[in-house]
Amino acid sequence: METPFHLNNKTILVTGASSGIGRQIAISCSTMGAKMVITGRDKTRLSETFSQLKGEEHFQMTCDLLKDDERIKFCEAIPVLDGVVHCAGIVAPVPTKYIEEKHIRQVMGSNFEIPILLTGRLMRSKKIKDKASFVFMSSISSHFPYNGGSLYTASKAAIEAYSKNLAFENYTKGIRSNCLAPAMVETPIYEKTKEGMYGVDPEKYPSLYPLGIGKPEDVANAAIFLLSDASKWITGTNILMDGGYSLTLLVK
Amino acid sequence: MDINELIQKLEGEFEDIPKGALTPSTKITDIQGWGSMHALIVIALMDAEYGITVKGDELRSVQSIQDLFDLAKKKQAAL
Repeated sequence: METPFHLNNKTILVTGASSGIGRQIAISCSTMGAKMVITGRDKTRLSETFSQLKGEEHFQMTCDLLKDDERIKFCEAIPVLDGVVHCAGIVAPVPTKYIEEKHIRQVMGSNFEIPILLTGRLMRSKKIKDKASFVFMSSISSHFPYNGGSLYTASKAAIEAYSKNLAFENYTKGIRSNCLAPAMVETPIYEKTKEGMYGVDPEKYPSLYPLGIGKPEDVANAAIFLLSDASKWITGTNILMDGGYSLTLLVK
Repeated sequence: MDINELIQKLEGEFEDIPKGALTPSTKITDIQGWGSMHALIVIALMDAEYGITVKGDELRSVQSIQDLFDLAKKKQAAL
């Protein structure tokens, strides 16, 4: 029997591929046979990711996806896609009473506007094949708050709702859309989140996770599943990945 | 920018401490109830009131309120 657990003959776009989860998803997808299209803002770091991709015929292009002209140019330049993983995103902790327009622009711009504007443009540019799979990065924090996280968590909750609607509007073409909602994963964003935990023992955090802090590979493996034909019956859903964190909340 | 004004602003933010509790030599981590939220508030306050960006690791290297003031002055001069 032929296994559907692979990405052979698929072309996959990963945004935010210059570091963290995005980088690992790009590398892991290439290992599973995909032709990769990767983008990010930092040319040097994007090239580092590119050099780690397995196989041939990959494509890289730096792009500030928030800029209309750059995004449109990007969508024209890339090949037709079987899957998209929206990984570009930021954390910027701000206490609720200090939130100003600039903070909203910053967080919602990267975490909400980019994936939505890019998705729309890709579809209008006919770069999304029938039966393609979209994967959006949500976060466990869309349901579990943390200090300073109101904008970040709101952006993730918003993207979850968007993904469902995208799935709904496009199921007749077999196009699927799902979210991954990881808890703490060892990435530069995690390091940044720890900054917001000033005065709190950072050593305390791993002990909250029965299976430990997540690794980028753990998230990449779930992304591969959602991109592959193995998940062809799954759409409009959100996979919580928290190393057992939420299991243990009531006894903590 | 003067240090008494900064102290007033900090006391205004951390409502659970009595007025006059903070002095230039107060260690910021000794502020009553100090935790991650306080750190975020200090960072946001420096941005909103003085237009300067204090990073998490910079705040970590700050000991006293005087140190915080000195850091803020240095940053403001560099604007």
